Amino acid sequence: MDTSEFGRFSDPAMLILACLAGGEKHGYAMMEDIEATAGVHLGPGTLYGALSRLEQYGLIESLPADERRRPYRLTGQGTSFLRQYLASLEKFVSLSLKRLEA
Amino acid sequence: MISEKVRLWLIRLYPHAWRERYAAEFDILLEQCLRSPLDVVDVFLGAVDAHLQVLNGENVSWRIMNMLNKLRTTLLIVFAAYIGFIIAGFSLVGLADDSPMIPLMKTDPLLKASWMTIQIGAAVALLAVVIGGLPLAGTVIRRALTTDRRNRSLLLVPVFSFLALVLYVGFVLLVWTGRIQIAGVVPVVSPGYFPPGNRLLMMGVMLVFILGAIASTLAVWKVVSRTDTGQETFRIGSRALSVKIYSFAFVPAVIAAFSMLVILVATLTWGWLSFSAFPQVFTGNFGPWLTSTQAWYFGILTLMGLCVLSAFFGLARGLSARKSM
Repeated sequence: MDTSEFGRFSDPAMLILACLAGGEKHGYAMMEDIEATAGVHLGPGTLYGALSRLEQYGLIESLPADERRRPYRLTGQGTSFLRQYLASLEKFVSLSLKRLEA
Repeated sequence: MISEKVRLWLIRLYPHAWRERYAAEFDILLEQCLRSPLDVVDVFLGAVDAHLQVLNGENVSWRIMNMLNKLRTTLLIVFAAYIGFIIAGFSLVGLADDSPMIPLMKTDPLLKASWMTIQIGAAVALLAVVIGGLPLAGTVIRRALTTDRRNRSLLLVPVFSFLALVLYVGFVLLVWTGRIQIAGVVPVVSPGYFPPGNRLLMMGVMLVFILGAIASTLAVWKVVSRTDTGQETFRIGSRALSVKIYSFAFVPAVIAAFSMLVILVATLTWGWLSFSAFPQVFTGNFGPWLTSTQAWYFGILTLMGLCVLSAFFGLARGLSARKSM
């Protein structure tokens, strides 16, 4: 699986995975966290479009709802997918930096 | 801040399967974060995307959710049909009680057998509903007491309905025994005489019972519909028992539906045998409170028939859902 499977939701999906790497969160907490850490405002439609796909692919899972808020967390598959993605991103960043310095 | 009405309207833009899964949490998110027109546009786009996903059959989890919902609706339809059947059953007992059919049933073996079949069918249906409904009821009550607080008041509807019936029956007994005097109501009724006042009083019992049953069924339907109950773990002593609630309840629902069908056939047989042996019964007023026997009997048959049809319609939906799971 690669990020292209998420279509236009690939960036939001990766932001959500990175956000959930810090622990379980519900929708609003994810929006706040992503805005604070990445400076990206995810609209509610985009957030849930990405969430539903991540859940479908088994990268995140929902936990029992607390009142009406339902927290989500990374699955094992989600953790390794994020790790793999970040590693390839790291490789890409270091290669690009090297090219800039050359 | 956007009003609740607008939020609900926005959520309704999403497909049914999506709403079943995400509506509650999405609503609370919109309540907190919907501030700019851009967010509203984003919700619109999200709804379009969700519809496309459904059309393409992309999202498996929603499809499963859809199937589970169908299964849940099946159980609720069978439950509602059973409640309707209880009303018909009590009416049948009221029709047979104190009627000339009682001595007839003691002597005619076929009539006795058909009545026995009705009783056995009723016991089996009750057992099936209790066994199938117990884990679901346990889950719903547990959730209402812990997380789903909005369901608490709805769960009180059956309790209050029962209390209303008990209070009304208590009132009737007080009138019956002469402790409360009401104009037009005679405390002691002689055989073959049932004044209109007494008839009204007794019809009140039936009305309270039927209204309570309808209100309770609607409340249970609403509570179960909005409780997330796919699978539940019950602790029995030190053991944990995981139950797939809807699948577990499906077989008892089938048994309950077939029991209702057996009761309907037995009631038809019982009526036909009674009519053959004693035609005057059906042309006379041997129904509860000396009302028309025919009207009661055919009313009961109609209600039973409708309940059986509804139960089997529900089962057909449930079977198609189980096949596609």
